[in-house]
Amino acid sequence: MSDQAKLQLLTRSHDDSGFEIFEVDSSQTYSGFKPQRSPATEWELRRQPLAVDGTRNFVLNNLRQDRYLLLNSKEHFLWEQFDGRNSLEEIARAFHLEHGAFDYSIIRELLAKLYHAGLIEGHRTLAPLSNFVTPKERSPAHRLGRMLDAWRHFALRTRDADRYCSTTYRRGGFVLFHPLTFWTVVGLAGVALAAAFQLAGHSMDFARLLSARPYMSTGVMLITLLAASMLHVLVHALACKAHGRRVREIGFFLLQGVLPTFYTDVTDIFMSNRRARLMVDLAGPMVEVLFGSLAMLSAYLSGPGIEQALLFGVGVLLWESALINLYPFSFLELDGYNILADLLAMPMLRKQALALIPNLTQRLRNIRTIQRAEMIQIAYLALCLISVIAYVVLHLDAISALLPFEWR
Amino acid sequence: MPIAADYLRTVSLFQDLDHAGLSTLGGLLVPKKAPAGAVIFRESDESDALYLVEAGEVVISKHVQGPVDVVLITFGGGDFFGEMGLFDAAPRSATAQAKADSLLWRLDRKAFMHILSDHPEIAAKICYRLVSVFIERLRSTNEQAREAIRWGLEATGYSPAANRALFDRKST
Repeated sequence: MSDQAKLQLLTRSHDDSGFEIFEVDSSQTYSGFKPQRSPATEWELRRQPLAVDGTRNFVLNNLRQDRYLLLNSKEHFLWEQFDGRNSLEEIARAFHLEHGAFDYSIIRELLAKLYHAGLIEGHRTLAPLSNFVTPKERSPAHRLGRMLDAWRHFALRTRDADRYCSTTYRRGGFVLFHPLTFWTVVGLAGVALAAAFQLAGHSMDFARLLSARPYMSTGVMLITLLAASMLHVLVHALACKAHGRRVREIGFFLLQGVLPTFYTDVTDIFMSNRRARLMVDLAGPMVEVLFGSLAMLSAYLSGPGIEQALLFGVGVLLWESALINLYPFSFLELDGYNILADLLAMPMLRKQALALIPNLTQRLRNIRTIQRAEMIQIAYLALCLISVIAYVVLHLDAISALLPFEWR
Repeated sequence: MPIAADYLRTVSLFQDLDHAGLSTLGGLLVPKKAPAGAVIFRESDESDALYLVEAGEVVISKHVQGPVDVVLITFGGGDFFGEMGLFDAAPRSATAQAKADSLLWRLDRKAFMHILSDHPEIAAKICYRLVSVFIERLRSTNEQAREAIRWGLEATGYSPAANRALFDRKST
């Protein structure tokens, strides 16, 4: 065999402030490369439930670097082969025998993913740090894209969240996850709902009282929402601790680059079971249900006046907030969406559905070739679209009140 | 076979020469017919002349592996190739082969040296054009190198999207 070809590559850092040079082996060397996954003590693999489309995912966690990867069954098969004894050529053959067809890009993309997640030994040329910088990429459009990307990824966060949450959980947070607590909240919500029906007849009076003091009303509502949102996120995090899993971070970010909100990263709950994930998903909205119920009952017990109107308003606001959170079809990854994704065992449902949009008309024309997973994704898109339209139509009065002109 | 002055004027290398200069040069060029498939010179052959293409097509290629060459460029009427041979005695860096029946004109290094010593004003004009052509071809070679590397990386481990493949669940 002749000398193996090698190239020296210069790869730039993401912000273009620096670069690294490293060598790339020839494709001949590449096909003889024997990928070696990290030692078993450095990672954790969790099989996910069977999805409704018949597929199965696996979540792989790099314990050392705190990075997670979602693998499909084909990628999992390859991961099992990456034991340092099989060359890529042999792995490709085994893959072909197992799955009957083979697309080499699956291997290279998985290797790049694993390299980036720190789960493969050596061969650091598998995933260069960045793309080549070409004139096109330095264009204003590219810069704008980078700015939008930075905006989407804006976040204020604490990395020490797990320690705070562990302490809070030990010092009483565990009470929240006792079955008695759950049933107490449900009972309270039932009684509060009955009280709300009693008070509903006075809702126009409450609205008049609140609009007479707009600054105070708005201030109370905003503070309530802010406090509830923080508690909501904290309870999600504590639920994660209740299942012995790690809270990666708590912070503030723009959900899907749009909605400013608090969040907690509970990815580690994927290393537990589906029931645990559903509990984490449900725990947050229970905060709004509990405080909304308490506010409603307080309104019921209060005498007529601005206090009662405020309590009623806060109760309605928190309940509506819980409902919006639990509603899965809003194009946003709120708690309801997470519940849906967990029930279907399709954790990438939204991303996959959105990725379908550019070719949606073409896919719908060949409806017979649409697979079950795609049907679910299309149904998700359709329900989201219908829901958003319905939400706008139902809130036309509120929207028109915000407009500076008469629209009808 | 005398070379037509009209043709010489179409060759970019000689576009700065006047009628007298073209006549002087024309007397030094030697015709060469290359039927389709004929090898004009091979990579690593002795390098001693430049060729002008009056008609036909010539493919310049470089050996990669086994029977495989990578095509660097294809020349047609009015183009020239092998210019390195005028200055450098090092072996040919690529192979030139007629793609179609071609009529070429050959300018030997010795003849060019004669122009350099006896007609420095003509040599200066040719050299100035040659430098422009070198620069243009160097740019093209850099671009080809980049494309080849990109192609190789995409076929092996290159995946700029890998850093977007991490999985997470953010509860809000």
